[in-house]
Parts: sequence; structure tokens; C-alpha cells
Amino acid sequence: MLSLIQVLTSGIAIGCVYGLVALSFVLIYKATETVSFMQGELLMVGAFAAVALNAGAGWPLWLAAATAVAGMALLGAMLERIVLRHAIGQPHLVAVLLTFGLGLIMRGGLTTVPAASHDIYRLPFADRVLQVGALALSFSHVLVIAATAALAVVLAVFFRHTRAGLALRACSENARVASLMGVPVEAMHTLAWALGAGLAAIAGVLLAPITFVHLNMGLIALKAFPAAVLGGLTSLPGALLGGVFLGVVEALAGLALPEGVKDVVPYAVLMLALFLFPDGLSSGWRGRR
Amino acid sequence: MSLLRPALLSVAMIAIAVGVLGADYALGQATLVTTYAIAGLGLVIIVGQAGQITLGQGALVALGAYVEALLAVRGVPPLLSMPLAVLLGAAGGALASVPAWRLGGLYFAMSTLAFALIVEEMLVRWTSLTRGGAGLSVPAMAWGGLKADTPLEQVVVSVGVLSLVWLACARWMRGRLGRAWRAVREDEIAAAEACGIDVGAAKLHAFVLGGGLAGLAGALYAHWIGFISPEQFGLTFSFELLMLVFIGGARRLSGALWGALVIVSLPQLIALVRDALPGDSSRSAGLETMLFGAVIVLAVLLRPQGLASAAEGGRRRGRGRAPY
Repeated sequence: MLSLIQVLTSGIAIGCVYGLVALSFVLIYKATETVSFMQGELLMVGAFAAVALNAGAGWPLWLAAATAVAGMALLGAMLERIVLRHAIGQPHLVAVLLTFGLGLIMRGGLTTVPAASHDIYRLPFADRVLQVGALALSFSHVLVIAATAALAVVLAVFFRHTRAGLALRACSENARVASLMGVPVEAMHTLAWALGAGLAAIAGVLLAPITFVHLNMGLIALKAFPAAVLGGLTSLPGALLGGVFLGVVEALAGLALPEGVKDVVPYAVLMLALFLFPDGLSSGWRGRR
Repeated sequence: MSLLRPALLSVAMIAIAVGVLGADYALGQATLVTTYAIAGLGLVIIVGQAGQITLGQGALVALGAYVEALLAVRGVPPLLSMPLAVLLGAAGGALASVPAWRLGGLYFAMSTLAFALIVEEMLVRWTSLTRGGAGLSVPAMAWGGLKADTPLEQVVVSVGVLSLVWLACARWMRGRLGRAWRAVREDEIAAAEACGIDVGAAKLHAFVLGGGLAGLAGALYAHWIGFISPEQFGLTFSFELLMLVFIGGARRLSGALWGALVIVSLPQLIALVRDALPGDSSRSAGLETMLFGAVIVLAVLLRPQGLASAAEGGRRRGRGRAPY
């Protein structure tokens, strides 16, 4: 029983990271109709930036993480202004290739840094254990879950109660009507990319204590696609919940199924979900739109 | 004549390459270009004709390559094993696209991507059959006393196969299938359904034929390279194939050949540029990746009309239905 709770906690924690990456993907997709295949690289660069500022420059961890996330948001906005703007209104293939190319540039650029390609970084609190009665939980797992929950609240407030959040939602619902209502649609596109990149960086910083920081940590973003599809590709809470669901399913599959099957479970779930619930899992209880 | 053009084009390219680079090397490269072009034709059908998107074509090439390799080792003649490779590629294409059948657009990207990742994991894990990451070595293509193991023989075989499938593709595109694909691409609801075109079936045909071509390319590739392992057919390969068809121009069959030429020669050009740049060899892998990414970005930015056909469809900002 205790070990089951531990497995579930680690599943939820990794699922939170899937969910955050899926959230960033869906946010960008909804606001700009642009498909991003570089969320994994944004995540990785964000985590590396935090590690570099912390271990390299000696900043305190919280400041390094905050600066890294802010820096990645700035990078996202810049990339939108310079490059990704050209993908708007184009077929998906244009955005897919553009973001894939930008991702390669980021990954390649980081590989040329010797310190990045040789070492695996772990954060100081990665091994701490939280003891609750007989239950021993990994501190980093609990931290990830708490941070994700807090972030979800912040995002909910942002999207419901702030001008920028409402404008962004209006822009996602119908760009033309939003622009007639005075929403600066182009600025919203930039904001969406900044938020998307920032969220990916947060996911990277949160993932850092779980899997450590290395060049392939961006591969985790592949599992954000099933999470986004489970949420119906257009729902922000759906993407987050889809991620958590996927993390739990994966953790349970790791218990019950032979080695190696666990890694394909998310993709099998994706194909099944598309087949059975084409509008996303939530459509099951919300009824047809 | 539709067949004359690619044949002349390939012969001319090969002749130039032989003159510049030396015979064996040039012929080897020409073999690769024609093999990539076969897979590219499949993408011309899926992306350029039917206006859909696929991210899993690399895995279908892998299926073809592994079928061919496993059968060739057991002495099955290519005339029997190649159709099986094509069949498995086609079946894979159907299986990968069926979940997104009713949704289309971006969902095809998701479902083919998931399929490709499953196939990749399977090739790595099913070690008793595929020997996993260690890879398989593939004997030369042989049938009775005939054998294709010199560069010249290989190029003759692949140009021959390319010409055959080129003819088939040209025929499909001219006929009922091609009209259905283009109607689906231009306007799924108004043009296609109003004309009584079965939209789902048209998409499925595109993915099945595209998958079959990928399987065929994989079967040839396995013989030419002589060694296959799962990592050759990863996600990057699927994206390379997408880039191939984007740069070449997805609307016309010749786009596959031009794109293949670019994709095969690009790594070598990049290696030349890398050697010209300062920095020691330990950084070279990262630099190559960076340059490759930069080429993709520049190609897309400078030639956004490379996919002019599909762009027309994409500019209609329809909500909910992913525009392609």
C-alpha cells in the first residue's frame, strides 16, 4: 500500500511536468494556431540556464530559476517576433518545420558547450526525503506537485481576472472578433509565445530535481503530445489533467507490465484516445459540444 | 512523357556527379538520392496531393527496411520480399492514420508521431528479432545468379524502381484518386463532400500508398547501406523527409527528386562549412545540428511558397478544423 502511494506520487509528479509542457503547447496552439515542436528544447535550455546561473555564477537557486524562466519567456517573445510570426496562417507543416529547426539550433548550440554535453547536473535537494509517518516521499516529487498546483491557480486567475489574460482568451476564441473589440492580436501572439516558452522553462526547472539536467531531457516533451490530445488539444485545464492522468497510467504500467512497455504506453493511449474520444477525454462527461 | 523527365533528370545528375566526384562515390550518392526520392514520392502524395501531414514516415521506412533485411538474411528472393516490405509499409500507414481518420489536420501529425515512437521502441526492444540497438547487417540484393552489389548495379536498380513508382504515382494523380486528393486538400467540406467524394477514404488511400512507398524505399535502403539499426529511422529522419518534400516542392512529383538531392547532399555541405569554422572537433556534432536547424529555418522562411498549394488552404482561418 505504501509503495503504491509512492508510485502514485512519482507518477503524479512526472505527470505534472507532462501537463505543464502540454499546457504550454496548447496555449501557443490556441492563441496562434501554430504547432510547436520545440517545447522540449525550450524546457532543456531553461533548465540549463537555471543550472548555469546557480552552479556557474553562484546565484541562489530561486533567483537563478526565476531569471532562467524570465529569460526563456523573453526568448520566446523574440523568436515570435523574428521567426515564428511567419508561420501564422500558414499550413501546419510550416510551423512544424520552423519550430523543429529552431529546436535543432538550440540543442546543437547547447551541445557545443563542453560543460553541458559532458556532465549531468543534480540539484542540491534532489535526494531529500519527506517522512510522513511510515510514508517516505521524495521531496522533489512533492515540490513539483505543489508548484504545479500553485501555478495552475496563478494561471486560472490570470486567464479569468486580468485584462491580458482575457484578451488572450478572446484572441484564442476568435482572432477577428477580438481585433474588432480592440484586442491587439499581434501583441497577443507574442504574449502567447512568451508564456509558452516560460511555462516550458518552468517545467524544465521542475523536472531538474527528478531526472537531473542533461541534453536529452527535452525528449520528455514528446509525452506532452499525448497529454494535450487527451485534453482535446484546445483545453488548458484538459492538457494539465491529461498530463497527470498520463503520468499515473505510466507509473502503474511500470508496476504491472514488463520492462519497456511503460515507455510506449503514452503513445498507445494517444492513439486509443483519438480513436475512442476524438474530442478529448473530457467530452465524455461534458457531452457533445 | 512523364517517365522521360525524371529518367533524363537522374541520368544528367548522375553524369555530372560522376564527372565531379569520381564514379563509385557519385554512383553511391545517386543511389541514395533515388532511394530517398521514392520515400519522397509517398510524401508528395500525403502532403502535396492530399494536403495532410505525417510525422511518422521514418518509421514506415524502417518497417520496410527490417522486413527486407530479415527476409534477405533467410534467403527469400527480393521479388517476394520487396512486395512484403511494401505491404507492411502500407499497413503501417493505414494503422498510423486510422485513429485520426475522422479528425484530420493536426491529429494526423499526433497519431503518426505516436505510431512512429511505438515502432521505434519496438525495434529497440524486440531484440530476439531485430537485435535491438546493435542493428542488423543486410546482404546484397541477390536473385538466383543476379546480384546487385556494385555501385553501378545498385544505381540501375534504384533508378529502375523509381521510374516504375513514378509512373504509378503520375497515373494515380491524373486519375480519380488524384482528383479526390486535391479536392480534399483544397476544401474538404464544400468541394469534396459536395462532390460525393469520400473524404475519409481519400485520406486513407493517401496514407496507404504513401506508406507503401516508404516501405519500398526502406527495402532498397537496407540493401544499399548494408546495415540497419533503429536510430537511423528516428524522429529526425521523419522530419528530414518532411523537409525533403517541403524544399523540393510538394505539389509535383519532381519535387521528391529535387528534395532528395538536397537532403542527401546537405550533410556533406554542412561538413564542409563546419570544417571552415573555427573550433575543435568535440564541438562538431553540435555545430552540425545547429547548421542543419538553421538551414531548415532559412529554407522555410525564404521559400514559404514552397508549399503554395497547401498555403492556400491554410489561409482560411477555419476554427476547430485544423486548416491544412
